Amino acid sequence: MTAETSITFPWLSLLLWLPLLGTLLCLLWRKSAAACRYLALGTTLLVLLVSVGLAVSLETGAGGWLLFEDYRWIDAYGIRYTLGMDGISLLLILLTAFLQVIAVLISWDMRKHPALFFALVLVLETGIIGVFLALDLVLFYLFWELMLIPMFFLIGVWGHERRVYAAVKFFLFTLSGSLLLLLAIISLYLLHGEQTGVYTFALAALKQTELNFTQEMIFYLCFMAAFVVKVPLFPFHTWLPDAHTEAPAAGSVDLAGLLLKTGVYGMIRFAFPLFPLAAEKSLPVLAALALIGLFYAAWIAYLQFDIKRIVAYSSVSHLGFVILGLAAWNQTAWEGSVLLMISHGVTTGALFVMIAMIRQRTATREVDKLGGLWQSQPNLSAFFLLFCFASLGLPGLANFAGEILILIGVFSSQPLWGAIAVGGILFAAAYMLRLLQEVIWGPCCEPFDKSDLCRREWLILIPLALLVIWLGCYPQPALDVMRAPIQLLLQGGMP
Amino acid sequence: MTLLLALIPILPLFGGLVNACFGSRLPRPLSALIACGAVLGSFLATLGCWPGAAGEGLKTTLFTWLQSGSFSAEVGLLFDPLAAIMALMVTGVASLIHLYAAGYMEDDSDQARFFALLNLFVFAMLTIVLADNLLLMFLGWEGVGFCSYGLIGFWYRKTENAVAGRKAFIVTRIGDLFFTVGLLWLFARFGTIGIEAINSRAAELDPTTLTLISLLLLGGACGKSAQLPLMSWLPDAMAGPTPVSALIHAATMVTAGVYLLCRMFPLVSLSPLAMGVIACVGVLTAFYAATCALAQREIKRVLAYSTMSQVGYMFLAVGLDSVSAAMFHLLTHAFFKALLFMGAGCLIQLAGHENDIFQMGGMRRRSQTVFWLFLAGLLCLAGAPLTGGFFSKDLILATAFAKGDPFHLGIYGLGVLTAGITSLYSFRLAYLLFAGDFRGEELPHELPKLMIWPLPLLALLGLSGGLLNLPHLFGGRSWLSGWLERENDLLQIPLQSEYLLLGVAAAVFLLGWLVAHFRYRRFAERETEVCKQFFLTGWQCDAFFDRLLIRPFRKLCYFCWQGGDLGLIDGLVEGFARACLQWGHAIRFLADGRISRYLQGFAWGLLLIVGWFLLQAVR
Repeated sequence: MTAETSITFPWLSLLLWLPLLGTLLCLLWRKSAAACRYLALGTTLLVLLVSVGLAVSLETGAGGWLLFEDYRWIDAYGIRYTLGMDGISLLLILLTAFLQVIAVLISWDMRKHPALFFALVLVLETGIIGVFLALDLVLFYLFWELMLIPMFFLIGVWGHERRVYAAVKFFLFTLSGSLLLLLAIISLYLLHGEQTGVYTFALAALKQTELNFTQEMIFYLCFMAAFVVKVPLFPFHTWLPDAHTEAPAAGSVDLAGLLLKTGVYGMIRFAFPLFPLAAEKSLPVLAALALIGLFYAAWIAYLQFDIKRIVAYSSVSHLGFVILGLAAWNQTAWEGSVLLMISHGVTTGALFVMIAMIRQRTATREVDKLGGLWQSQPNLSAFFLLFCFASLGLPGLANFAGEILILIGVFSSQPLWGAIAVGGILFAAAYMLRLLQEVIWGPCCEPFDKSDLCRREWLILIPLALLVIWLGCYPQPALDVMRAPIQLLLQGGMP
Repeated sequence: MTLLLALIPILPLFGGLVNACFGSRLPRPLSALIACGAVLGSFLATLGCWPGAAGEGLKTTLFTWLQSGSFSAEVGLLFDPLAAIMALMVTGVASLIHLYAAGYMEDDSDQARFFALLNLFVFAMLTIVLADNLLLMFLGWEGVGFCSYGLIGFWYRKTENAVAGRKAFIVTRIGDLFFTVGLLWLFARFGTIGIEAINSRAAELDPTTLTLISLLLLGGACGKSAQLPLMSWLPDAMAGPTPVSALIHAATMVTAGVYLLCRMFPLVSLSPLAMGVIACVGVLTAFYAATCALAQREIKRVLAYSTMSQVGYMFLAVGLDSVSAAMFHLLTHAFFKALLFMGAGCLIQLAGHENDIFQMGGMRRRSQTVFWLFLAGLLCLAGAPLTGGFFSKDLILATAFAKGDPFHLGIYGLGVLTAGITSLYSFRLAYLLFAGDFRGEELPHELPKLMIWPLPLLALLGLSGGLLNLPHLFGGRSWLSGWLERENDLLQIPLQSEYLLLGVAAAVFLLGWLVAHFRYRRFAERETEVCKQFFLTGWQCDAFFDRLLIRPFRKLCYFCWQGGDLGLIDGLVEGFARACLQWGHAIRFLADGRISRYLQGFAWGLLLIVGWFLLQAVR
């Protein structure tokens, strides 16, 4: 089902290259900060519009590729420009497009090199969308690395006090994972070529490569090295708290909301389908690491003093839940995992947005210096309360739906894992309530800026809040979109 | 009628949302009016649905909340006799308390937030009551937890209040974990989470699983209902505004655990072991809390411990196989405890925001009305003959007695002892509050009329609550047992024993009164120090949990952070980085820019290569 769909309008390429076009325009008008702002906002809005339009107009219930593009690119090495979008990528692209608008809006007052900043944010968007769309391994790797560079600069240039340390740590961690991935991609390509005589990087073809178990395991581990660092799974997570803490607001939003998801996406799109036997063998290990990370990160979060670090560790904990769901390897748990990825993107993104707003008013992120915000900023605090409770898994708000599906799925195949994982919900409450306690309750800390939400901030927070409630009360549309693709992936088939 | 049924929870939800979103922009009376109107409307809707409840009950499904694979959770409501009576109580009592709150919060600047949370609470509570599946019930279950959290810490400027709210949420969430595991397990076994389906198929489970699931549900119930060992949050929860204590921490939320056990009774009752444990938890909590109530100094803490104790009686009733006794006591208790809390709110106001009973006294002279109303509540609590509390408590104790075996007779004995203590602390409270002269200095604050109006109605309901389930002995027909279709809960004991039991109940009531009369008629601060401290602090439970759980937990967290993350993982990572750096330093001399060294290297290298080739050639 490739040829006939590729003739129609290249919507995927449009989605993919629009942000890069925005980057170029930003750099052209780099003299005027206002022009760059509006250009960035316009571009991200346009991407959002296109992706929402696609979501509405496509037959999303089907299992195959909703859209597919396949062009010749570098014939000599069998590299093709292959893009494909199924339900899972659609959801993740919607999330990306949405969060990028938020990221641009939250950086509206960026003073330091605004043109460059917005240009990098837009490059990042292309990288992320590319990862979610690419079906040729070289193309995928290209976008995979493309995400790394703008993020490195976003942290390193626009970050806070220890930004260089954090940026380098982030870069080295992810790069060492990706190099193994590159190695594995090339070896797999050569092996496949030797076997069949056809040298290609296409995912669908490489899936047919015959591997003995040792080879499969080695390849699998190399692939997973890249993904596991990105997720990040315990014990490869220590770059995340530093990167989050030092990144500017938009960077944190993108990091938590999107970059972490590319790791999970890589697993379910590439690592598992390419090496099913090795994946099957690794599931207990994966589950064990996920469970450890789930608790371990929650415990550490409980003691942090920097509110960004609390949320960063909570991300590690939630992603532990996601990976646990994948390790359960059944429909319900996978649907829960993908749903939790989306919900986590929205809630954690929202929390980082709010932290930026709080920091703007109090000039601090230390819990000791905060407190009693409700007194001067009731609206801001109310939103903060909502997002914190969404993050700790209050039923009816975003994260709960994903978590309970994961728990149900995990419990039905591995009751013990499920029963242990339930405990994670308790510790999520422990650190989140401590965060609330230190920030919005208690005696007032006298913020120097006592203003409550301004119009732009309302504009950011209301969509986030609505989405959080919608995902919690009626996640059915999202579940319907991901159902068929997950079924296919679990059966080992490709769309 | 299904539309009316859906309106029951939707109206408070709507009221809560309106107040949450626009409350601060509405004129003050309007926000109270919306809140009261929403709950009152919900009460009327419940009345309207009432005829449909008999027999199979009403059912309606609004939409599918979550569906994945074979798992499916609908937003579905079930209005059967049990749900109906509970919903009627919740909406009725909540309406009265909302009215009271409108008076109580008259001058508070944050009124909208208060009413938003209070309305949302009623919504969540009604979700628990009306849910037709366990996941939806869990939504309500956590929802009431959230509202309780927000309302306990309502006056957030004092850190203690916010801390109390956090404690309540986390301790009850420990219970929720058990509930969640129970829910997962039930789904894994039955492939459904519908309450009716599970109950009707409960017998398919093997006994061990059944017992374990029942105990898990009990764990959930213990958290919400402040039963041993998850009880320590309730006394601290009194930091919230008084209407909140009356509604959430006396009449409705803390009885949610009892309701859960009644709801899942066909399942729970199949396991004798679980039933025994429930009875034990109930009676032990009843005894424990009653002893604590004896030594408390704050008026609301006395009532909090008494709530815990009375809820213990309800658990005992469930454990004794008698749903109707549990629900009977739940209803009468809801009336008189709401009355007592609201009365306490009035008294605190009259005493000039003083809530230490040792500083009060002579309150009768400050308001006769409040005195009589509060006394009515205390009489019900103490189990004065012919009040509602008397009949419901007696039914529970008599049921225990009727079982006849030593285990249940022991429970009966402890229950009677607890009843005596209950009477004692009730009258201790009465004498300390009303006898003698006022001991503090504060002048009375004015009492808004709205704070008095709801009380007489509750007093009437509390005093005459016995009519709900009047035993045959008094010419009643045990209406409640009939309504709940639990005719076999009725006592099957000879008439003489029944008289004897009534006599015992009346005797312990009198005994408690007499002791209190001689001990507290004249105020004297002469309590044995050790005992007082021990009971005052709730048997030192907080200190115990602090040492046993909280401190080790913090140590564990600290170890993970400093030892695990910063020490081990980052240590390795940075150690590796440092090793690279040092290696670089070590071989830097090779590239120090001196031509002589480069030439030397060149010569050695050439020698090596040429030597290698020569060696090859020789071979």
